[in-house]
Amino acid sequence: MATKINQWLDERTSWRKVWETIFLRKIPKVNWFYTLGSASLFVALNQAITGILLTIYYVPTPDHAYDSVQYITTQVPLGWLIRGLHHWGASAMIVLVVLHMLRVILFGAYKFPREVTWFTGVILLLVVIGFGFTGYLLPWDQKAYWATTVGTRIAGTPPWIGNYLLRIIRGGTEISAVTLVRFFGTHVWVLPSLLAILIGIHLYLVIRNGISAVPKRGGNQ
Amino acid sequence: MSDTKVLSRRNFMQAAIWGLGGLIGLGFGVPAVAYVVGPSLKNQLSQTWMRLGPTSKVELGTPTLFSFTIQTQTGWIVNSQEVSVYVLSTDGRTYIAMSNICTHLGCHIRWIAEQNHFFCPCHNGVFDIAGNVVAGPPPRPLNRYDVKVEDGQLLVLVGG
Repeated sequence: MATKINQWLDERTSWRKVWETIFLRKIPKVNWFYTLGSASLFVALNQAITGILLTIYYVPTPDHAYDSVQYITTQVPLGWLIRGLHHWGASAMIVLVVLHMLRVILFGAYKFPREVTWFTGVILLLVVIGFGFTGYLLPWDQKAYWATTVGTRIAGTPPWIGNYLLRIIRGGTEISAVTLVRFFGTHVWVLPSLLAILIGIHLYLVIRNGISAVPKRGGNQ
Repeated sequence: MSDTKVLSRRNFMQAAIWGLGGLIGLGFGVPAVAYVVGPSLKNQLSQTWMRLGPTSKVELGTPTLFSFTIQTQTGWIVNSQEVSVYVLSTDGRTYIAMSNICTHLGCHIRWIAEQNHFFCPCHNGVFDIAGNVVAGPPPRPLNRYDVKVEDGQLLVLVGG
């Protein structure tokens, strides 16, 4: 029965070909450091799932943000788990993405023909940092408030444009309801869209170019 | 050749990956359902005995108005609501507690001592001293609360 359905689908979609291209492709003999990209992808998925779940209860306004987060943590069944996964996943994400980048640098995997994969990776790193920065404000507790005060003030340091930058990021001179919603909007709409598009390109290129082999000692000059 | 099926390394890995994937999927799926559905299944109001005040405040033969506030919580938002109750006792030993909400459309009724009746200002509903409908549109007598006396204090059962 299952094979019949698969056959029917394959005739119309060639999904088997797609499956083989993605999962059954040939790769050189590599080591565990080559799993860091997949690990990042897995944690990114975790962040997406738990993040969507958090928005079911979270309200991004100064009078409800903190209380709704407390509600999730203490009242909703397994809310502590969902929030915990998102919280620790955020840290894990940064660590994994940086390790992944180090591996690519140290193994020379960024070289021809994989430069564009590297470029998208660099933007992905910025997106991930952006996620961390915008997400940090959302619990709207003292730590969040002051971290964002400091963080946005850094944006205000360049000469000439600094003050404008600061006000654009904060949505005014102070950290306020406007700051909170724009961080929320960036965190759940802008960055996820960017992330999805960039991961798409990144993975396409990984598959299209194949992954690089472990460099050999001595090399071929 | 042999009828014992040999599990190749490839097949074993495949099965292991699907198995682990399934477990991880369950690990997300089950908590997600509990998380989404949980609060919907919670009982909003639990029954509690609210303290009205000392029984000595009740004038024999006259409905006496007591007020208290109940707190209801929806999600993380706590609302307080003022509730008023008329307490009547004819002998000083048994008490009845009636809601001051008209059973017609929910206006607040008042005890008018000169006329010896409760009157509703909205549509001229009239109730007698025990809360039975005398005149007007109300479809049934005033709602009653369970009452008890503890250490000279009146308590009514609210919620549920």
